[in-house]
Amino acid sequence: MFKRSMRRCCLLIAAMALISGCWSSKEIEDLSMYAGLALDVGDPTPLERELERKGATYDKKNQITATIQIVPAHSSSSNQGDSSTKGKVPEFLNTTETGDSLFEIMRTYSTRRERAVIGHHLKTIVVSNRLLQKRGIDSIMDFVLRDNDIRPSCVVFVTEGRALDTFAKNASGTVPAQQLRDFLRNRFRTNRIMEGVNLTRLDALMRTRQSFVLQNVVAAKGELELSGAGVIKGASGKWIGSLSQTDVESISWIRGDGGGGAIKTYDWRGEPIVYEIESMKSKQKAKITGDDISFHVEIKSEGRFIENWDIREDPSKPKYMEKAEQLFEERLNAMLREFMRKIQTQYKVEVAGFGESLRIQSPKTWKKVKDRWDEVFSEVPVTFDIDLHITDFGSSTK
Amino acid sequence: MWTKVLSYIPDWKTFMQAGLVLLIPLIINFGYNKISSLVSNKNNPAKKTTAGDTTAPEEPLSGEYERDLEFLKKTIGTSSDVHFREFQITGLNVRACLVFVDGMQTVDFLNTHVMQVLMREADPQLREQGRALNTPEFTAHLKEKILPLIDITEVTEKLELTQSILKGFTALLLDGMPHALLVGLPNGKTRAIAEPTSEALLRGSRIGFTEVLSENTAMLRMQGKSENLEMKKYVVGSLLKKNLVIAYFKDIVNPELLHEVEDRITKIDIDFIAESGYVEQLIEDNPLSPFQQVQNTERPDRVINALLEGRVAILVEGTPFALIVPVTFSMLLQSPEDYFERWMPGSLLRTLRFFASFLALMAPALYISFISFHPGLIPTELAITIIEARQGVPFPSLIEVLILEISIEILREAGLRLPKPIGPAMGIVGGLIIGEAAVQAGIVSPFLVIVVAVTAISSFSIPMYSAGIALRVLRFVGMLFAATLGMFGTILFFLLICSHISKLKSFGVPYITPFSPFRLQDFKDLFVRAPLTLMKRRPEMMKTGNRRRRS
Amino acid sequence: MFLRKDDKITTTQAAIFLTDTVLGAGILTLPRSVLEAAETPDVWLSVLLGGAIILLLMLVMVKLSQRFPGKTVYEYSRSIVGTIPGAFLCLLLILYFIIVGGFEIRVLAEVAMLYLLEGTPIWAILIPFIWTGAYLACGGINSIARVFQIVFPISLFFLILSYAMSIRVFEPNHLRPLLGGGVMPVIQGLKSTILVFTGCEVIMVLIAHMQHPERAVKAVFAGIGIPIMLYLFTIVMVIGGMSVDAVLRSTWPTIDLLRSFEVTGLFFERLEFPFLVIWMMQMFCNFTSFYFSASLGVSQIFRIRFGPVLFALMPVIFISAMIPKRINDVFQLGGAIGYIGIFFFALLPALLSAIYWIRKKGLRQDV
Repeated sequence: MFKRSMRRCCLLIAAMALISGCWSSKEIEDLSMYAGLALDVGDPTPLERELERKGATYDKKNQITATIQIVPAHSSSSNQGDSSTKGKVPEFLNTTETGDSLFEIMRTYSTRRERAVIGHHLKTIVVSNRLLQKRGIDSIMDFVLRDNDIRPSCVVFVTEGRALDTFAKNASGTVPAQQLRDFLRNRFRTNRIMEGVNLTRLDALMRTRQSFVLQNVVAAKGELELSGAGVIKGASGKWIGSLSQTDVESISWIRGDGGGGAIKTYDWRGEPIVYEIESMKSKQKAKITGDDISFHVEIKSEGRFIENWDIREDPSKPKYMEKAEQLFEERLNAMLREFMRKIQTQYKVEVAGFGESLRIQSPKTWKKVKDRWDEVFSEVPVTFDIDLHITDFGSSTK
Repeated sequence: MWTKVLSYIPDWKTFMQAGLVLLIPLIINFGYNKISSLVSNKNNPAKKTTAGDTTAPEEPLSGEYERDLEFLKKTIGTSSDVHFREFQITGLNVRACLVFVDGMQTVDFLNTHVMQVLMREADPQLREQGRALNTPEFTAHLKEKILPLIDITEVTEKLELTQSILKGFTALLLDGMPHALLVGLPNGKTRAIAEPTSEALLRGSRIGFTEVLSENTAMLRMQGKSENLEMKKYVVGSLLKKNLVIAYFKDIVNPELLHEVEDRITKIDIDFIAESGYVEQLIEDNPLSPFQQVQNTERPDRVINALLEGRVAILVEGTPFALIVPVTFSMLLQSPEDYFERWMPGSLLRTLRFFASFLALMAPALYISFISFHPGLIPTELAITIIEARQGVPFPSLIEVLILEISIEILREAGLRLPKPIGPAMGIVGGLIIGEAAVQAGIVSPFLVIVVAVTAISSFSIPMYSAGIALRVLRFVGMLFAATLGMFGTILFFLLICSHISKLKSFGVPYITPFSPFRLQDFKDLFVRAPLTLMKRRPEMMKTGNRRRRS
Repeated sequence: MFLRKDDKITTTQAAIFLTDTVLGAGILTLPRSVLEAAETPDVWLSVLLGGAIILLLMLVMVKLSQRFPGKTVYEYSRSIVGTIPGAFLCLLLILYFIIVGGFEIRVLAEVAMLYLLEGTPIWAILIPFIWTGAYLACGGINSIARVFQIVFPISLFFLILSYAMSIRVFEPNHLRPLLGGGVMPVIQGLKSTILVFTGCEVIMVLIAHMQHPERAVKAVFAGIGIPIMLYLFTIVMVIGGMSVDAVLRSTWPTIDLLRSFEVTGLFFERLEFPFLVIWMMQMFCNFTSFYFSASLGVSQIFRIRFGPVLFALMPVIFISAMIPKRINDVFQLGGAIGYIGIFFFALLPALLSAIYWIRKKGLRQDV
């Protein structure tokens, strides 16, 4: 009988461990995790210039500036100080490097920080629009897609301005990279937040070469806000403009994937009234007659009459409700029209998922037009059929 | 074409490695075979059997008082504890002698029932009979009319006589009578029946086995009356002989299993069985396995339940631990309480124990592989907490875990040896204070203290102490695997254990039944303990004679 | 018998053995390889169709093997086509098993090096794995089947759990339109779906070890049905969760699917961890099965004891795993194995059956 026992293998492993050591073993506390990555046009920071002036440089053309946000900050003071002061110590550490290749930059961090960085816990990537104007998103994102440490679950944002500003310290002391990602959870509250585009989705979008939008981040005085979206042209992969917050709402109405939010409009006295979205559904129907494509979008929503500044009206009356519904529908229609104008005439891109509907509803037509979909779409007539329904008026009848 | 093929031929390094792939297992295999041939219980088939003592030359007692006494004094009389009390039977006017071992008799009893009777004033009838001391009539007379004792045995063999005396019988030799009489039963001091300390239960009988074999078998009988409960006696030990009893239900047990057990017991060849652990080690299938292949228990109810499932119990004189064979892995995680409580709590506890034993085995290995190898596989928040907690810990995780694990093991061992009142105090000092101090001193991280504590507590929840030990041993092996290859090593370790226990058999029953071979019937008594009404059959794996438990 | 010494396995065990043999690297490679053959979300139909074809082919193998109760293909092939050609065919089969075994552990090592053990030399991953497999295989088919039986429910549970969790990224639109490109792409995808069923040739070895060979058909239906369902599930979840385009750009799509979301609040928020764990255990079963079949073949053809063969094959498998020089070679080898597999699926059993049938007829005429 060829039997071996545990003892045998135990011996064997002990021997192996002694002979060869443990190749991949790296203690977690000897590594730094970066939770965020901000990409800017190559522009060395003052600190870097200083270092470079003293000779800390290598052969590079300064095409890209990458900032990583390391959590937790390994300042040696943090473990010496007693635990009560721990909360005030900044919990993250930003490090900026400029270079040509993202990977090279990543490795250069090792010459500046004692703990090597690992990408397993990367949560957010923020790209500045200037960089996206210069280079296509394919090349910028190539490393993060290829890297085996970075999970495809991390979410991509754009910002108008410097991306590293979005990672600045803020009053609340939270980690901006995580904060940004956690913003996405609030989709159930407002449809101004888009579904986060993670790397897997980005990968797919880039392969189809269709245009798409990425959530825009605005930073000021260390505070962050998600606002609108940046439009990426599919053919070039470059940033061509931005959409406003209402445009983002419009996209969610057309796609019917919003989780919540509000429609605010003004009644005949100019007082604000607000509709709280409880559900939304939309159907994009493609109509093909010969070579002509047209879309008809049916939007259905149910919601609550949630706020009324006009104290002279009684919202609990069905008649008023119907009137209000009409007002909200008008407002929504105006929003959508404005949005359609923007994408069809101003940017000439299609980012609201019409292509997807066409692909599903008429694969053959799609095959014909998919390579020049943006141009084709700018000529496509789109009609809307909006049906808002106020179900109730909240806990106050007045 | 050829260059392309050639380019795919690996370089010499690969071939060297391939050589190593072959060489190392060969060496290990060779070593293993060597060790296993040393360790394994090589018995010349049934050479030394119970017949061992009967094959010794039979020598009858001579019947001559002086010569027999001389013989006894020579063979066992040199021991200071063997007493010879010579006296004269008044009525017969013959010499007599009581031989017994000190401390194994009730002296009062001998005084009143033997000495007083025999040294009383002569009884005419006795005197008449006394003319022919060597006739059976005299013996019968003695038994029937004179000695007020229940138990009188005649012994004619010298060897039997000496052995009976050493066992604690009192022998009466009479001048002229061709045999000795055993007049007093052994009555050595024994322990009172107490609650089994190693297997305490909240609910269930408080009775535990003692060191006396007859009491133990009686306890089994007392569980219920059945003419099918059969016990067979064997004598083991070549130098110091001990009784050993095999108990089983003759209508339930599989005859082949019984035969196998009998066979292995008769093959035991050792001078002395100090404890049933000796028997266990001498009859088990694979001495090189870390898993126990025989279950030991102090609880008669556990034994009887096992017997009803078609297993065989082995009871050894001088120890309160009975052995149950064959055993499967799942049995080690069962407690009689599972059956005494209602089925839902019973099932919950079962599942909990499986989970606990998994933790006890794997938790430190998982910790090492996460901390040292795969920071990317733990949740971000947790990773941040761990990094902060581990700041300033000077050791790699393996050393860190080893420090704490070994000190816990030492603590446990120390707590076991200490007298009862100090033990818990020691646990508190060791567990709480050392743990806290180690964290404060920055030797280990607080996170690890949690892991080690959970591991230790989990291993306590395993009802069988000896099974717990096996897991404790393996835990260290697992840690080494994890420290070498991280999660991959941990998986390999798990697969190795699986491979090992799937090969292991206990008396022909695969160790991991009913997981595999998969027996759905037996799953009712595995993770869950099905309601008693549903458990209609005996375990299928035992291939019992009588299948149904309920009619 | 109470103390069983024979090498027989139950029907359930045979089914699980078959499942574990078929379910291997394919879980990771299938989505991309099949999508590369046909860029349509309908490829799940190809999987179903391919599975059905395989099932039919396997029935041929079963029927053939059932003619020779207690004999493996290594033993009966020589009684059909003669000693030398029979041995030759069997050697081909053994070679095939060795290459597949090497391929499987190479894929394992590649994935482990990419996601778990960056920096560990490949031999340090391969060698302990081979040894562990050998340790199991030397216990004979009974031990192997038992380990499979332990591993299988665990992996099934975690596999389904992982996929169920990926519902949160599942987008039904990714799977639409149904048959948008017609039936042709489905047929094109068929080719690469058949490849993932490599390994079901072991049934020709397995039947000899079955306690009830007459129930082999049942075992085959279960043993192939489960992988078909799992592969189907895999491909539906992967395409639904990632879309066709993302799958095509991903090296290991299934892992990327699980890496593309995090379940906060669960103890392991990253599901690639349980998935990789069970996948490796599955690969272990997979590898052991090939290793065992190859060793058994060598030992039966050359009439050598099983133990030494097991040892001798260790370096052979190691070298065969080391032959691909880069990842492209590995994927190419995977493709090639599929094509060789078709020979063993379809041609070998058919050939043997035909010759057997002709011979039998011939004999009858003689009588």
